Order: sequence, then C-alpha cells, then structure tokens
Amino acid sequence: MNRGDPEMDARRRFGALCESLRPDLLRFAFWLGRDRQLAEDVVQEAMLRAWKSFGALEDEGKAKSWLLTIVRREFARTFEKKRLEVADLDALVTAEAPVLAAEDDQDLAAMREALFRLDDEYREPLVLQVMMGYSTQEIADLMGLQQGAVLTRLFRARARLRHLLGLAPEPAA
Amino acid sequence: MMTCMEFRRQVGAEPSLAGPAFDAHRRECPACARYQDELRAMDALAARALALDAARLALPKGRGAGAGRRQRFFAIAASVTAGIAVGFALLVGGPRESVAREVVDHVLHEPGALAATVPVGPAALAGVLDPDGTRLRPGVGDVTFAARCVHQGHVVPHLVVRTPAGAVTVLLLRHREVDEPVRFEEQGFAGVVLPAPHGSIAVVGQGVKDLEGVARQVFEAVDRGDSIPAAG
Repeated sequence: MNRGDPEMDARRRFGALCESLRPDLLRFAFWLGRDRQLAEDVVQEAMLRAWKSFGALEDEGKAKSWLLTIVRREFARTFEKKRLEVADLDALVTAEAPVLAAEDDQDLAAMREALFRLDDEYREPLVLQVMMGYSTQEIADLMGLQQGAVLTRLFRARARLRHLLGLAPEPAA
Repeated sequence: MMTCMEFRRQVGAEPSLAGPAFDAHRRECPACARYQDELRAMDALAARALALDAARLALPKGRGAGAGRRQRFFAIAASVTAGIAVGFALLVGGPRESVAREVVDHVLHEPGALAATVPVGPAALAGVLDPDGTRLRPGVGDVTFAARCVHQGHVVPHLVVRTPAGAVTVLLLRHREVDEPVRFEEQGFAGVVLPAPHGSIAVVGQGVKDLEGVARQVFEAVDRGDSIPAAG
C-alpha cells in the first residue's frame, strides 16, 4: 500500500470523486444529448481530460462544477467533431423510451418526454437549475451567458413545458 | 408594487422565489398565486423526472464498454502520470480479447502495485473492499497492494495477492460481465477472468504455476456470495 505516494493519493482522490459524481454527470450528459451511448462516451472522455488536469484543481469542493464544465466542453467537441444532427424528436423519444418510461406514473413519463422535447437552449439551463440546484448566476457562469439571458431561457423553458404538458397554450415565439 | 407581468416573469424563471414583494402580490392576485403554485408543482415533478436512476441509464449489453469508442480512460490516465508510452489505441478485438487487453493494460500501467511487498493492513484493505460490499477471507496470501482504481471508467478494487505460487493481480470488475471463464496470455502475462453473479473477477500473473488454480482460490476467498463457475 503506497500510502505516502502522492500519485497514488491523487488517483485515490480522483477515483473517489468519479465514483460519487459520475451518476450526476451521466444524467446531465444524457439530458444534454438525449442519447445514452453519447452520454457514456462524453462522460468517459471528460473524465480522461479531468484526470489529465486534476492537479490544477485547487479546491476539490468545486469538483462538481469543474467536471460539469468539462462535460459540457466535451459534449460540444463531440457534437462539432461528429457533426451530429438531431434526429426527429419522435425517433429520439422512441430510441430512449426505456429510460423515459415511468411505470405506473403517467405524469412522470409525460414530464420526461416533455423535457426530452425541449429545445437544447431551454433544456440545459432547466436541468442545471432543477436537477443540479444551480442558481441562475451559476448557470450563467457555466454557460457563458448573462444572467438576464438565463432568466429568459428559464422562463421560456417553463412556458414551453406547460404547453407540452397541455397546461397552457403554445407560447408566443 | 409588483405587477402581474413582473411577478410572472420572475417566478417563471425561478418558481421558488419568495419575499415580501412576492407575498404581497400573491395576496392581491389569486391567479398569480395559483400560477406560481403550478410552477412549483411542475418543478417538483421535473426534478423527479430528471433524476433518472443510474441503473436506468446503464447501456444494454453490447452497447456498454466495448461498443462505440473504447473506454480507455485508465490507460491514458496512467500513461500521463507514469510517463509510460502505452498502446491506448482503440481496441478492435472481440469481447474475449477486449477484456484481456483491458486487464493487462491496467496491470502494465500500474507497475508500482507489483513492486510493493509490505502487507496491507486490514483497515486499509477493508477501505478498498467495503464500498463494493466485499471482503477477502484470510488464507489465500498476503495482500501487498490494495487500491480503488479507475478502470474503464469505473472504480474497481485492485489487489495484489502474494500466493505461494506467486504474486497475482486481482481486479474485481462489477461492471464487466463475461459469460464464461476467459483465459488469456498477453504481453507476458497469463490471466483468467471468471464470471461472478455481479460482474467478474480478473486474476493475472506472470510466471505463476497453475494460474487457474490460484485464480479459483482467490475467487473462493472473495466473499461476495459468488459460486465457482465450472471450468469451460
């Protein structure tokens, strides 16, 4: 047991971080890309990049947002590299139906599908706010937007969700 | 005084907002109060919907490790830290070759693990195995290395056990399923990956006599309620 070995220590700490944060990163990547395989690949590559620069992370208390940033960048890189095109939404929903299903809870299933159908620009900040508990300023920092722009997107995201769930008419563009 | 439009603009972006101005508007405008309540309920449902069970996100067999881009995290990470030039090119073999290559790569990229000779203490060993709900029964040999390592994107217990027949590396691969024992010889190492009810157990050694017998002893020593698979 090389308890005094700094490299081993770093590896252990990084391993522990990965273990604890990976489920959230995977969920985030899934809602970002709406594809399990893509999410798995993106998180995998993000962890690789994170390990390479782990030494530069001064405050491990900020590891989550640090890793989320890396996942976002990796996702953008993958999208650009592969020139992925969003298939039609019905096909996406069908492909990931096992993930979206909610046995005995139609409201939950309907909400998952509605979230799936939200435009990227609305879905991502909503996921960060509702799932990750980020403040609007934190979302703005992460996404490189002004806080006002984030507020607008969140407002429109909810208006769109209400429409998709049949709670309100289609919002004006 | 806050107008309905101001109120709805703000709570539409942050339904949890509260404070004197919001409370006052809610008292004056039941419709806006109802709107905010609906949004809060919608957010609660959205939070449940987004928090997918990790198991639900697990890829079906054949789409996980080994499909698409190969998971090569540990190989590259180790190469960076150890400065070892490694072949982390995409793996192109079939499942048997893949699991063998993955395991041997892991062993190769952690040479310090095999160099350790001082037995690991019980508390340290428990610290490595407990998160997996596993323990190692005494008698199989001294454990001279124990760590939780990132392997193929998963954190796995990595042990080096010094048996009478020689030192073997043991990886407990909960994420990696094999249908039958996979034996391999690769880059000077001989190994076997044994199927377990939850994943598999890889045992790898160099110049170890009767590696398969040693592997079965290790397998039996790993207390996780597994049964020994029949030799295939």
